[in-house]
Amino acid sequence: MKTRHLKLFNSYVPYQSENPRNLVTNKVISIMASAVYFCDSKGYPLLARRYRDDIPISAIEKFPTLLSDLEEETNLVPPCLSYNGMQYLFIQHNDVYLVAIANSMSANAAQIFAFLYKLVDVLGNYLKTVEEESIRDNFVIIYELLDETMDYGIPQITETKMLKQYITQKSFKLVKAAKKKRNAARPPEALTNSVSWRSADIKYKKNEAFLDIIESINMLMTQKGQILRSEIIGEVKVKSRLSGMPDLKLGINDKGIFSKHMDDDSLNNEGASVASSTTDKKKNNIELEDLKFHQCVRLSKFETEKIITFIPPDGDFELMNYRLSTSIKPLIWCDMNIQVHSQSRIEIHCRAKAQIKKKSTATNVQIIIPVPEDADTPEFKYSHGSIKYVPEKNVIIWKIRSFPGGKEYSMSAQMQLPSIGNIEEHKAKRPVQIKFQIPYFTTSGIQVKYLKINEPKLQYKSYPWVRYITQSGDDYTIRLT
Amino acid sequence: MSDQRIFTRYRASEIRTDLQNIDIKKLKSSATKRKNALKKIIANISLGNYGEMLELLPEILSFWQIEDDFEVKRICHEYARSLGSIKPKITDDILPFVLQDLKSRNEHLQIMALRTLVFIPSASFTNEAFKFIISMVNRRNASEELTKTALFALIQLDDLNHNKVTDLFNIIHDTIQQRSDNPSIQVAALHTLYAIHEKHTDMKPLQITVESCFDLVERLSELNEWDKGLLLEALTTAVVPQTHADSYDLIDIVLPQLQHVNTFVVLNTFKFVIYLLNYVDSVSENIVKRLSNSIIALLNKAPELQFLVLRNVILLLLSREKPLLDLDVSYFFVEFNDPIYIKDTKLECLYLLANQDTLSQILEELEQYATDIDIQMSRKAIRAIGNLAVKLDENAATDCFNLLLHLLEFGVDYVVQEIISVFRNILRKYPDKFRSSIREIVKYTDAVQEPESKNAMIWIVTQYADFLPDYITVFEKLNSSFMEDPLEVQFSILNSSIKLFMKFPTPETKQLSGDVLRTCVDMVNNPDLRARALMYQRLIQLANSQYGPYAALDNSLHEIVDSNLPLIELNSKLDPLVLEELALNISSVTSVYLKPTSQIFRLNRTKFLPQSPVLLADKNKLTINDGPSFSRDRADSKAKSLPKRTPTMSDYDKPAEKVNQLRGKMKSSSSSPSKLVRKPSMLMKRLSMKRPF
Repeated sequence: MKTRHLKLFNSYVPYQSENPRNLVTNKVISIMASAVYFCDSKGYPLLARRYRDDIPISAIEKFPTLLSDLEEETNLVPPCLSYNGMQYLFIQHNDVYLVAIANSMSANAAQIFAFLYKLVDVLGNYLKTVEEESIRDNFVIIYELLDETMDYGIPQITETKMLKQYITQKSFKLVKAAKKKRNAARPPEALTNSVSWRSADIKYKKNEAFLDIIESINMLMTQKGQILRSEIIGEVKVKSRLSGMPDLKLGINDKGIFSKHMDDDSLNNEGASVASSTTDKKKNNIELEDLKFHQCVRLSKFETEKIITFIPPDGDFELMNYRLSTSIKPLIWCDMNIQVHSQSRIEIHCRAKAQIKKKSTATNVQIIIPVPEDADTPEFKYSHGSIKYVPEKNVIIWKIRSFPGGKEYSMSAQMQLPSIGNIEEHKAKRPVQIKFQIPYFTTSGIQVKYLKINEPKLQYKSYPWVRYITQSGDDYTIRLT
Repeated sequence: MSDQRIFTRYRASEIRTDLQNIDIKKLKSSATKRKNALKKIIANISLGNYGEMLELLPEILSFWQIEDDFEVKRICHEYARSLGSIKPKITDDILPFVLQDLKSRNEHLQIMALRTLVFIPSASFTNEAFKFIISMVNRRNASEELTKTALFALIQLDDLNHNKVTDLFNIIHDTIQQRSDNPSIQVAALHTLYAIHEKHTDMKPLQITVESCFDLVERLSELNEWDKGLLLEALTTAVVPQTHADSYDLIDIVLPQLQHVNTFVVLNTFKFVIYLLNYVDSVSENIVKRLSNSIIALLNKAPELQFLVLRNVILLLLSREKPLLDLDVSYFFVEFNDPIYIKDTKLECLYLLANQDTLSQILEELEQYATDIDIQMSRKAIRAIGNLAVKLDENAATDCFNLLLHLLEFGVDYVVQEIISVFRNILRKYPDKFRSSIREIVKYTDAVQEPESKNAMIWIVTQYADFLPDYITVFEKLNSSFMEDPLEVQFSILNSSIKLFMKFPTPETKQLSGDVLRTCVDMVNNPDLRARALMYQRLIQLANSQYGPYAALDNSLHEIVDSNLPLIELNSKLDPLVLEELALNISSVTSVYLKPTSQIFRLNRTKFLPQSPVLLADKNKLTINDGPSFSRDRADSKAKSLPKRTPTMSDYDKPAEKVNQLRGKMKSSSSSPSKLVRKPSMLMKRLSMKRPF
């Protein structure tokens, strides 16, 4: 018997023109991006850099229509569009679209997206904010950057520090440019070094390195206190102000990193039982999943020895990030009780509790509670902090400047609902969102054990600094039922 | 000093006066003015003001000659590239200047000139470009930047003169194999070959030897992030492992790259490893874990990248009977702030991940989404619940069905529409299981509006009329707006009324079907519908004339109107060949659409797994070891093979004082799998004991 197929739900079918004759049959297929465009919020091009001659100049003109058509038809606009054999891949940043067009489906989307984000990053360092106006104002420098960061659609140097050596923001000041003319035109030596992200002649009077360990907590909870999902996303940021070519070695109390040393120990005194070493020594060590490193970290060294060693780029950069998916207890928990007496009023009771160590204090706590769109005349009662009703967003925001561990604060609010109105209108299920920061504390327990800085030639004295902070991630929410 | 005014349309004469003004006095303000004027030209070209700007060619050329400021040069080249490809007339005038720059001692200027040469599609330019590249290759002492530009230029030149480029292939191959070269150049050469091979379907796929592949991957750490990605991309399918050990060694070498911060590198590493797994017969659980974890970590990236990763997850879930990845469903729960396309894709992942164990968890989530404010999302969630009922076993179907019944009680319009539509599918799969609920469903007859749900309701009522004493009334209700209904609903009413008549040949059904037939024949404009009605009418007349009124109708009539329906099945499985091609296209645009390139564009090359003595014929035969057993076997072969292949360690990668110690340790560390990845639950216990919050 023949089997009939059901359509899986709406999958992304390439948006093709109906008429097959419209299809541009390119005789040449390229596997890279052919052009990069900056477009305004409607999709009209501001700037363009074509890297290959294999897409029609008019290709970008279709982009705004594609966007608006899709928005009208479904409210679903995926970041890849396909039209007439052209692939439009784009990201949004502020009020601009960065669009890359490739003429083949075998174009590597990961490369294109990663590049576009890197480009925004680089431009951010040149222009402060990347938006329509700053792009128009600085188009020459953007052209230069587009030239340098990509060649025939293949990404090249994307390290800002390296680019800044020969693309200077003040290049329109002719006098300066004229003086530097001969130097500026030559690509810096560092480009040909094996350390492509750092030039050799950096000098500081005082040699310092700052480490920031930032952990963001994402949590999805139900009103009953059930935890649906929780994860810690950690970032280690470094600001390096070091001279020469320093070699840094970072020690973290991560088990993956430290167990190696323990293996060494147990190798040395061969009789030592593995069991005792695991129970005694590993207790203080935490374990990180999915470490991702900046390109300066020697991955193979990390793989074999579990030591993080690197020659840092100059200035700010993100050394590594990691993720832990563990079921942690909510750091800030809210007992929510919302009662809607339809057509008359809504009552909200909220008891917030800082479930952190007594010594720690959560700062800048914000509890954002959604209320119905048509609610009005709010009345609040609360013990601490301040409460504000923000009608534009239809929320109540309860701000608590500092919230010591173990404390419990509560509030109640009442708002009037219009007496007329659609009964049982389908309610928006917006979650309660909580924002907070806890300084000097990491949820995972990660700690920096040492940061050794060694510059073989200069042998200077250096100062490493470390800061810790835990904060709420983008999704620290309690679902209302 | 804003460039704002620059970005407006100018006439050629205005800019010309700007340019000429300053030749008189050489003050710095005038120099700035001149540069601004030049910028205006470029801005106007961006605005598409070609005609006016073309008139400024003589000015541009005069500046080109005298000026050695780099920025002015850049503007001149930009002018040449933009207008040269549009107005071929001017190219002859420009050529000598470009060539002059090409001879410059300034490498950066040379690069710029070479790019201009390649960009302008004119025979004289192309010839000069070839001449330069050949002479440069022969010199062999050009800088990295210039060599790379020249290599990439070949990809472009290939469009214009394929034969001339193929003549150079030997030299490029040599470049790849020369170990002494800068690895970045090797990668550029490899990529050039790869890209050219990809373009021409008549060429054999690019192949390089296992040895040169090892040479290349061992220098991974010296490359910058983009080069890493390019290398791994080109190596997929270009290198064919000849033994299992080859594959294992390659996997071992590239695996650390999964921890790179750049998604391009991670996904291409991923692709390469997945590709290599076709050339082994077992894989350690450790590798599966590393792969899974790297995917989960990528879900924290920017939405566009997340989207890409999710689409690839779908692909990988589809590609094997027993998925290679071990992913927890909770990572695919929809977040409030996710863009819609991510929500959508996550939903699809949840659907694919569902099995007996995870169903209850997933249904709970789907219930949440089904009552979401976003209508699209809500509908999709309901559709997913319905599809799950069809996909999984009977018990699961009951759970799904009950959930849908529960959602139906909310009575929200679009929820009802969608639920009725999916009920039909469930009832098709399990015709007898849910009879008791038919009454409940039929209550919503008045609510169905959309064609699909109305069709579904008509079908349900007709099919289960035995259980509905008042089926006539219900059907009349559905029939009441016949003339306004869309065509597909009209068809289904017509068909169902005949079906009812045959099931219960009573005067009521005769009346009903007669009415419908008459309406179709007399009032409807659509010829297809009319023809169908006429056909039914004649069939019935024929049957009646043979057997008398209302007697058992002819069997063949039964078969035409109400034959047994085929089983339904969800087509979540793709053709294995297609899947094979898709798996080789991880991270490309193809993977977003989950359609093979060859299906959409004939001209694209179809990727396939090259033959090798160790190619695993059936993907599903790949076993996953739960221990580190094979990695121990491998430690021996690795210990033997690795040092041989790495005669020189790069200084940067391994500081000198470490190298000797390292040798001894390497074995011990590679024999025990990475300790990075462990069960979070174990860690949690420790965390919660040590650090009560």
